[in-house]
Amino acid sequence: MLQLVVGQLLNGVIVGTLYAIIALGVTLTFGITGIVNFALGAFMMLGAYITWYLTDGIGIPYPLAVPLAVLCVALLGLAVDQALFRFTRNNLINGLIVSIGLISVLVAIVLMIWTTTPQSMHYVLPGIFRIGGVIVPKMKAVVFIVLLLVILLTYASLTRTWAGRAAYAYAQNPEAAALMGVRTGVLQAGVAAYSTALAGLGGALYASLYSIAPEIGASYILKGVEAAILAGIGSVVGSLVGGIIIGVAEGVGSIFLPSAYNDAYGLVFLVLILLFKPAGLFGSKS
Amino acid sequence: MLLEIADLTKRFGGLTAVSGISFGIDHGEIVGIFGPNGSGKTTLLNLIAGVYRPTAGRLLWKSDELTGAPPHEIAAAGIVKTFQNPQLFRELTVFDNVMIAAHLRLKRHLGVRRMATLWPWYRHRSVNGELSDHIDHVLTLCRLDRFRDQAAGSLSYGGEKMLGVAMALMCEPELLLLDEPGSGLGHDEIANLDEVLRDLRDHGTTLCVIDHRVGFLGNLADRAMVVHHGAKIAEGRPDEVLRDERVIEAYLGRSHA
Amino acid sequence: MKSYLLWLPLFLLPLVVHDNVVLTVLVFSFILGILAVSFNLIFGFAGQLSLFHAAAFGLSAYATYLSMVHWSIPFWLGMVVGVVFVALVSVVIGAICFRFKLKEFYFAIVTLAFSEIARLVILNWNSFTNGSLGINFTVTPTLWVPGHGVIPVQGTVMWYYLTLVAVVLTVIVCSRIVHSWMGRCFASIRLNDELADTLGINVFRYKLISFVVGNAGAAVAGSLYAFYISFIDPDYLSINQSLAIIAMALLGGRSSVAAPVVGAFVLTALPHVINVNAEARLLIYGLILILTILLMPRGLVGSLMRLRRAA
Repeated sequence: MLQLVVGQLLNGVIVGTLYAIIALGVTLTFGITGIVNFALGAFMMLGAYITWYLTDGIGIPYPLAVPLAVLCVALLGLAVDQALFRFTRNNLINGLIVSIGLISVLVAIVLMIWTTTPQSMHYVLPGIFRIGGVIVPKMKAVVFIVLLLVILLTYASLTRTWAGRAAYAYAQNPEAAALMGVRTGVLQAGVAAYSTALAGLGGALYASLYSIAPEIGASYILKGVEAAILAGIGSVVGSLVGGIIIGVAEGVGSIFLPSAYNDAYGLVFLVLILLFKPAGLFGSKS
Repeated sequence: MLLEIADLTKRFGGLTAVSGISFGIDHGEIVGIFGPNGSGKTTLLNLIAGVYRPTAGRLLWKSDELTGAPPHEIAAAGIVKTFQNPQLFRELTVFDNVMIAAHLRLKRHLGVRRMATLWPWYRHRSVNGELSDHIDHVLTLCRLDRFRDQAAGSLSYGGEKMLGVAMALMCEPELLLLDEPGSGLGHDEIANLDEVLRDLRDHGTTLCVIDHRVGFLGNLADRAMVVHHGAKIAEGRPDEVLRDERVIEAYLGRSHA
Repeated sequence: MKSYLLWLPLFLLPLVVHDNVVLTVLVFSFILGILAVSFNLIFGFAGQLSLFHAAAFGLSAYATYLSMVHWSIPFWLGMVVGVVFVALVSVVIGAICFRFKLKEFYFAIVTLAFSEIARLVILNWNSFTNGSLGINFTVTPTLWVPGHGVIPVQGTVMWYYLTLVAVVLTVIVCSRIVHSWMGRCFASIRLNDELADTLGINVFRYKLISFVVGNAGAAVAGSLYAFYISFIDPDYLSINQSLAIIAMALLGGRSSVAAPVVGAFVLTALPHVINVNAEARLLIYGLILILTILLMPRGLVGSLMRLRRAA
């Protein structure tokens, strides 16, 4: 029994980093462009499909396919931001409607090309680690490490590089930052592209672990938003912590509670946070 | 005593904006609230109007407990407040803005029968006609009749402030709280405002006004209270209060006292 | 108010047009029109983006059918059950949301969450709802018509008139509300709810009224739709359905009571004019959402009216 719990715990931590990378995208987008981009789930799904297509369809080795896929998704994210979201800055409702519309468009395109049949990528890194009697697939460990590194790198660059600090300053006080020479338009476009890239990375790594289908984005964006709310805006480390909390709660919870209603528990949780977090979605903007 | 506040306190996290103010307003008075910027005057008015819930203290209106009541209940009880930065329905016309403010009036005059106006064949032309006349009357009083059909967002700053006053008047307040009604107004507009306010008082409305223009408010008010750092530091007749050492020190600094 | 004259030809249409396809398209347009118009009461007029509408639609359909089967009651009574059930659920959910003073965006998320919870419950409660398989109806709806007694509602023409009357009634009810003092309260809440509060308007009460009345409309649409196609499944409550509702309302026009019916008609008629499969339909809904928000915020009807005024 203990082994089962520990196993689920470890699994939950790993899945949690996937939630965390989406949450990071959500929190960055909200801090800099003022909207919650629900389409990040769809971008994650796109990242997964493009990676699968590049490796299994064209034959590009996985370690190369991932950055390529991330790049593709980031470029698309940038294009979409400039064409659409540029006109919904700080307008949560319009941003919501446009992002829901975008999800439909992206999912429809994927459905048309690849249909609704789930696809599985071939094994990238078969084999397992044994950690004190618990089995952890090697690939999962790799995914965990990569995501963790990316999140920590993001944190580091936000606090140490000029671009990062400019972003931070802008999130706190847009006018002051603009007066200090921060080019708002460029910053917003950059953050949009980066958030999409993060989601794409999550998808690219997801594809190596699980089978992919057009609907996978939906539950990830939901959990990403939950984790971001738990964390508080601008809190990079918080996104990580929030994601892991949700991942672990899910994993361990599924041992004891009927799994059919898994998603429902997450939703109830979301409702409760939104009702009781006094300052609304993300607390203060700092 | 129409309005009585006892030990009213408001804390925002670590900041105490209003601390332990006790004060009373009598029927038919014009009370002025003075104090330097950031002293808590607006917060005090927001507390009375229900926009903020007090952290401590009590609010008594005609001897009834109104502490912590929501804004619409306080407005319905007869206390209405204007905003320092005018709050309007910018997309609607001036007339429509005041029409919305007529909700309380409609509620009072028709009561539950106003549900009947929803039936398709109800002849509510008479109700709307009388309402329309009253709205025009209020607009004329506030010198806004020329802008009747213009969008509220297109008014000048002074016009916006007067519209705020007009909307407050439409709510038929017994106690009208005015937060810096004169700021941003030109000379003529201030004279008009003065006239409107005195006229209101003569017709039985009690007024409580914040204004940093000591001259304007000093002439208008019957009684004054000075607030500094969230606490009441003086109370009495305007000319007395404005000569008080502590008041001068609060506004201008120690050397002038 | 000469706009109601536009409805007159619709009453006479079946006398002239006998093409079953055309009439069927119109039946669907009317039912979905009820759905879109009632949604717009909450969104376009009271300013609250509710993502619970599809859930109201579906819950009423299930409630109507299940009550008819388990309690042996006629259709119109089953519809009442559906509407009352949805109204009660709406009061609870609305009270929770508005008591906590959720702003529009968070309200949208919470209603979406509740909608999904409802869908999951229906999906998994196999013993009662038959889960993902859905239910094929074995009961035909009946109506009591004065002079004829109780008759089954069968055939496209009967459905046509039933749904036409229903959508006209819905538009009349919503119109009366919108053009009254209550409509002014809705407008004040939509434009500046904090100001409305200080003017003595009980924001909680009127938000709740708009939510409950709007969902009741969705409930009526749900009962009619389910019995028209004699089939029901959890997809009635899916996010895609909510998406379609928003698309209809935005396409038709947010600022007019009846305009969403136009949106419903265009989206219903489209698959018959252009051959589209399910994926393409999804694509179109998505594009409509994006394009109307960015380019045509007043919708078709609003833009047309604006052109006419400018001319």
